[in-house]
Amino acid sequence: MMLRTPPQRKRRAESVAGDESPVSDRRLVPYGGGAAAVPIASAEPSDPMVCTYHCRQMVKSEFMVAFNTLERQVGDYQARLETLHEQLCRSDDERKKCQDHLTFLEQELAATKGREHALQERLLKEVTDSHERHRAQLKRISELEVELNRESDSRKTAELSAASAKETIKDLEGKLQRLTESSEREKNMLKKELSFSQDSLNLSASKLAANLERMRLRAENSEKEAELLKQELKGLREQLNECLHQKSEVEHKLSRFSASSNQNTPTEDQKLVKLLQEEIRNYESEVREARRLRSSHVNNELLKEKLLEEKGRRERAEMELSKLMEFQERAQKLELELLSWKSLLREIPDVSCYDDIPKKFAALQKEVIENMIKVGEISASLKELEVKLEDASLSRQHAENESALAKEKAESAALGAKRLELMLASVTEERDRLKKDSFVLDKQKAGHTNETLLKDLAEKENSIREMENSLHQLRELLSHQHEELELMNEKLNVEARKVKSLEREGDRLRSEIALLESKLGHGDYCASSTKVLRMVNTLAVDNEAKHTIEALQAELKRTQEKLQAVEELKGQSDVGKIIDANIPEKLVQLKSQIAILEKREERYKAVFAEKISVFRRACCSLFGYKIVMDDQQRPNGIPVTRFTLQSIYAQSDDEKLEFEYESGTTNIVVNEYISQPEISHQVEIFIKKMNSIQAFTANLTMESFNKRTLS
Amino acid sequence: MASRTISKDIITLKGSAAIVGDILYNRGVYPEESFAKVKKYGLTMLLTQDDGVKSFIASLTSQLSEWLESGKLQRVVLVIMSKATSEVLERWNFNIETDAEVVEKGVIREKSDKEIMREIQAIMRQIASCITYLPCLDEPCVFDVLAYTDKDVAVPFTWIESDAKLIQNPQMVKLHSFDTKIHKVDTLVSYKNDEWDEQ
Repeated sequence: MMLRTPPQRKRRAESVAGDESPVSDRRLVPYGGGAAAVPIASAEPSDPMVCTYHCRQMVKSEFMVAFNTLERQVGDYQARLETLHEQLCRSDDERKKCQDHLTFLEQELAATKGREHALQERLLKEVTDSHERHRAQLKRISELEVELNRESDSRKTAELSAASAKETIKDLEGKLQRLTESSEREKNMLKKELSFSQDSLNLSASKLAANLERMRLRAENSEKEAELLKQELKGLREQLNECLHQKSEVEHKLSRFSASSNQNTPTEDQKLVKLLQEEIRNYESEVREARRLRSSHVNNELLKEKLLEEKGRRERAEMELSKLMEFQERAQKLELELLSWKSLLREIPDVSCYDDIPKKFAALQKEVIENMIKVGEISASLKELEVKLEDASLSRQHAENESALAKEKAESAALGAKRLELMLASVTEERDRLKKDSFVLDKQKAGHTNETLLKDLAEKENSIREMENSLHQLRELLSHQHEELELMNEKLNVEARKVKSLEREGDRLRSEIALLESKLGHGDYCASSTKVLRMVNTLAVDNEAKHTIEALQAELKRTQEKLQAVEELKGQSDVGKIIDANIPEKLVQLKSQIAILEKREERYKAVFAEKISVFRRACCSLFGYKIVMDDQQRPNGIPVTRFTLQSIYAQSDDEKLEFEYESGTTNIVVNEYISQPEISHQVEIFIKKMNSIQAFTANLTMESFNKRTLS
Repeated sequence: MASRTISKDIITLKGSAAIVGDILYNRGVYPEESFAKVKKYGLTMLLTQDDGVKSFIASLTSQLSEWLESGKLQRVVLVIMSKATSEVLERWNFNIETDAEVVEKGVIREKSDKEIMREIQAIMRQIASCITYLPCLDEPCVFDVLAYTDKDVAVPFTWIESDAKLIQNPQMVKLHSFDTKIHKVDTLVSYKNDEWDEQ
């Protein structure tokens, strides 16, 4: 600014010249430079020119000063501009950084969005899966409930039927008890019958014993009689022999008499002839009497046989009478039984006659069978229930596992949501900070506006709000799921209680089954449907009975034989008492028979001797052993046949084998030859181990043959 | 059908007879030398040579076969008793489950004889292994056979009703079973507790 011309100032230029001003030292410097400054002292000559020039100079100086100050200001402004520019650059850098950060955040936001979306989808899927599973479980549970209801209904019906069956069984048991009582009564009656029959058997046995004793006594008596008769027979035989002797003498006399008949006088002949005739007549009479006696004896024997037959018939009749008595008793007992059965029939309902009893029993058995079938069906249904229980428990465990998994997933989703929230909070903080920075930048920069940043920020805020809304929804979904899980848990608890109750029932049934099995193993049985039988003739009783029966039979045979022998002797003694006139003829006949028999015996002996010698020679030639048979008796009286074998290849007479044969068994006898080591070894192998005497003898012949041939 | 049931009855009876012989041999009721090994029906049977026991078992099996054919036989029990005191020491329980359909209606059930014999042999092996835990029979013993029949069965004159000859507080061991598809035979042995074991 140009100042108005100021008043002169004295010494002002000097003072001013003292100041060091870079621009003006208050000396006028001619234009063109180089000239030294002309001092103002020379101002006086041209004051008006100098004034204007001074003024101009002053103005110039002032202008210069101002210009300098302005330049300074411009410099300052430039510096400021530079600093501002630097600040702008910095802000631009920061803005770029913020933009990068913002893009990074946007990317992260997009990633988180994607993750959230994926999480949401996964959660939705899991929720839908869990919903489906829950629905399926609910369906299963409902089905199981329906089945349980059905089973409980069936169990109730089965219980009712079982109760009714039990009642019928009780009734039947009562009836059966009555029947058992009646059967016991019958048993007692039968036992009484048995005792009666046993008594009768004992009586018959005692009778038999008495008969046996009588028979024994008779046999003894008959034996005594037989002895007496034998003695009589001996006497009679002696008499017979004397008679025969006399007869022979008489014959001799007769023969002599016939020879000397011509010499004797007729009177003596006549006397002899008369005597002989008398004797002949006597003999004839005796013969006739003997014949009569013989015929009478035959008649007696016939009568005796008839007597025996009649005795047998009488005994049979007595037996039959006794049997009749027994049958009558049995008939009475049967009548009593019939009466008791009739009374029983009246007591039993729905039974009017005997034919109805088996039908009633059949009906009762059918009922029992049906009840047993029902029991079996109930047990089968129980087993099915157990299987279903197991399935339900398995499904419960599965549902529990799934619920635990869903819980874990919900927890993880909640953690993810928390993480997202934290991220959101951090993102909002950064956003606020960035906003502040942007506002600061806006303030600093006049024409710089971050509309795009604000827009981006606004968009991000909107997206963040949307994410918050989605988070809210997810939280609500999670809460719903939690509630559903709680409901499911409650249902699972209820099902678990039901399962436990069913398990308790199953354990109870198993214990009952174990009890029944133990009872079965113990031997218990239902007396109404089962009876226990055993054989009467056990081994001991059978053996004893056999022994007694055999002993009694042997005694009977002996007594019968004795009786027959006694009776034969009686018959013989009856004949022998009377002197038989035909004794000589009989004697001749008997003698001739004896002679014939003796001849036959001799012939048989000779033939047997020939045959046996041939047989022995053949055996010797075929088997290589000379066999000698010898009958011996052991010290205890048992007869034993001893065979001595000598091989044809034996090298000495001491080489003999001895065997004992007794009732079908052959045993080797140890002697010096057999006690030799070679032979004893063969005996051990063939006889003791292999039980084959034939093999032993064959081996021995082979060895002795080999020895002979080799030697 | 009748022949098939009869053949299966024979297998059931012969298997049971083989098992009875095995039990008598293993428990020492009769001396070892009185038994002879016989291979019949694919089984190695130990048959006693005692005439009395043979006749007893023969008459027993004839009656049991009759009851088996008619489906009236429920159980056969072999009882081993002390000869001196007649105390029951062991009960070998053979529970017989008859298929009613086969007996009444003649329904056919097929099972190979080999398989049945295998099952019987398994039981015989198990009986032989029972010696390890069954108490020793130190005193002379006798045996008897009880037949559990239906209540309506007519009692033959050589048989009488009897008590079940139970053991008080027995120990029980369940053995294998064999199944001919007509009869199923479950084997169980119950024995008197040994005093030494109780102590």
